[in-house]
Amino acid sequence: MSDKILEVKDLKVEFKTDNGIVTAVNGVNIEVYKGKTLGIVGESGSGKSVTALSIMGLIPSPPGNVAGGEIIYRGKNVLDIPTDEMRTIRGNKIAMIFQEPMTSLNPVFTVGNQIEEVLALHQKELTKQDRKDKVIEMLSLVGIPSPEKRANEYPHQLSGGMRQRVMIAISLACRPDILIADEPTTALDVTIQAQILELMKKLQEEIGMGIIFITHDLGVVAEMCDDVAVMYCGQIVERADVKTLFNRSRHPYTKGLIESIPSFDSTLGETRERLPTIEGMVPSLQNLPTGCNFQDRCDFATDICKGQNGDPLLEKYGSDEHMIRCFNPLS
Amino acid sequence: MNIYTYILRRLLYIFPVIIGVSFLIFILFNVVCPDPTLIMLGKHATPEQMAMLRTELGLDRPLWVQYFDILKSAFTFDFGRSWNTKQEIFQMIKNGAIPSLTFTVPGFIFSTITSLSIAVVVAFYRGKFLDKFFVVICVSMMSISSLAYILFFQWFFAYKLGMFEISGYEDGFPYFIPYVILPIIIWIILSLGYDLRFYRTVMLDEIYQDYVRTARAKGLSERVILFKHVLKNAMIPVITYVVIQIPYLILGALLIENFFGIPGLGSLVVDAINSNDFGVLKAMSILTSLAFIFFNLLSDVLYTMVDPRVRLK
Repeated sequence: MSDKILEVKDLKVEFKTDNGIVTAVNGVNIEVYKGKTLGIVGESGSGKSVTALSIMGLIPSPPGNVAGGEIIYRGKNVLDIPTDEMRTIRGNKIAMIFQEPMTSLNPVFTVGNQIEEVLALHQKELTKQDRKDKVIEMLSLVGIPSPEKRANEYPHQLSGGMRQRVMIAISLACRPDILIADEPTTALDVTIQAQILELMKKLQEEIGMGIIFITHDLGVVAEMCDDVAVMYCGQIVERADVKTLFNRSRHPYTKGLIESIPSFDSTLGETRERLPTIEGMVPSLQNLPTGCNFQDRCDFATDICKGQNGDPLLEKYGSDEHMIRCFNPLS
Repeated sequence: MNIYTYILRRLLYIFPVIIGVSFLIFILFNVVCPDPTLIMLGKHATPEQMAMLRTELGLDRPLWVQYFDILKSAFTFDFGRSWNTKQEIFQMIKNGAIPSLTFTVPGFIFSTITSLSIAVVVAFYRGKFLDKFFVVICVSMMSISSLAYILFFQWFFAYKLGMFEISGYEDGFPYFIPYVILPIIIWIILSLGYDLRFYRTVMLDEIYQDYVRTARAKGLSERVILFKHVLKNAMIPVITYVVIQIPYLILGALLIENFFGIPGLGSLVVDAINSNDFGVLKAMSILTSLAFIFFNLLSDVLYTMVDPRVRLK
């Protein structure tokens, strides 16, 4: 396989709450490769964002705490890197964009200023004029028209899509190895969403960074990702390359997610069927069942899923790259 | 719209406000208020005496003339003479303003700077011991009555230790200093609790915003995030809070001035109420309103300098 830049091993993140300790991420293993996109899919609270924030070293502590595991970036465990040194990596080598383009930019500084800030921080050799040029270059790279003028504007003068482009410009200004995109298109309307995804793909080809793409939208995953990890209750339940996942998913949860994507012909056909859904609710992280976390919502659950032989493990299924955490995989 | 158009437009808004305020004052003092001559001369006054006083005070003129007088005084600052001491009112206010300002301004500046700085530090250590410690201090400072501070400080520092004057005032720098130190300290103590709590809340509101997360993701240090990103955003509510306090500085502090015998505007108002000096009260009402209008305008203009979003609205 191509260059592995980041490997997360058995990551465990806990949060202290009034009702005791909650394990938001429990034994997650992922790998990011140069120029490839890893999708992390899951419902709200499944631990996708927490995984991303741990890689950035941005888990708010307290109440959060990385309780175990390793995050290996270029041979070094990120979790052991002292804060000062971590700051030289963050925003420089590992960058992140967020879900809320409307609020993620500072309202009282111009967008040019906010892009320049990250350059001034990580590329000290640049002169002021170099930085100014680079800001314009980045703005035109992310497809913002008349960048010279836009650089002097404030975030409120830009639309949501434009702001997300600015966020991308900030994150890519130092040409990072890894870009973590935490639901970057969720808050945008569909046409803008398509443009932003297109832009990210184009920039990935140019810069060659590995992308961790967090989303709950499987449609976006199909378009963007090379590999996919499906998360449920802080654990990965299925991991495969994108083709395998869509064509031969083996975990009932993944299957349920794929089936609940509205497809065009089912609504046009003569017999209008109800869109399948996954019944029930995500169990509370404080009150997880023994055995498989998905048992209560699963149509295929049997006694073995209740945990008489322990919890299900993430195991190889068929090909090397396909892993699932299920006692009763679909055939 | 550029900033000058904005200021000009805001200045034009002032006129209707002044007309409204002067009308309210007119209703209060010249229409609703019971006949002031009756209060001043007592119940044994003859109708002739009352009529004479009414002419002297200008109360026999048509109401619209009286209203116009009030409106005019808002622009000329000519408030006539005191009904009681016969001194020129504007002169009295000018004389009273200086002693008030000698202790309110240092108190205000010191407490604002101190509480803002502590608020930044406390925001940095939010949820930790230092933060909780200051919250407790704030609440206890706010819970003790100002009278307790005044009496204790007078008794302990001035009487027992003899460090400062118990009460009184002398005009001119530096003679007033021994008289105003205790009032300044008490002013600081009284405002510190409120200020610190307000600034802390403002800082904490900002610290959990999404742009702070972005700033962290850029790799900026907490110090830069706090002093550059957070502080500039926090300035918006802070400016209102600070600027709106300024009129109160001119007004002085009623209790402090009374207990320390400082001949400031607080004392002037109390004396005027005691002696039914409606001329002074009316003048003070107008001046206070003007001060509020002016500083409101000032805070609006200052907004446009820190918040780029304001100008377009």
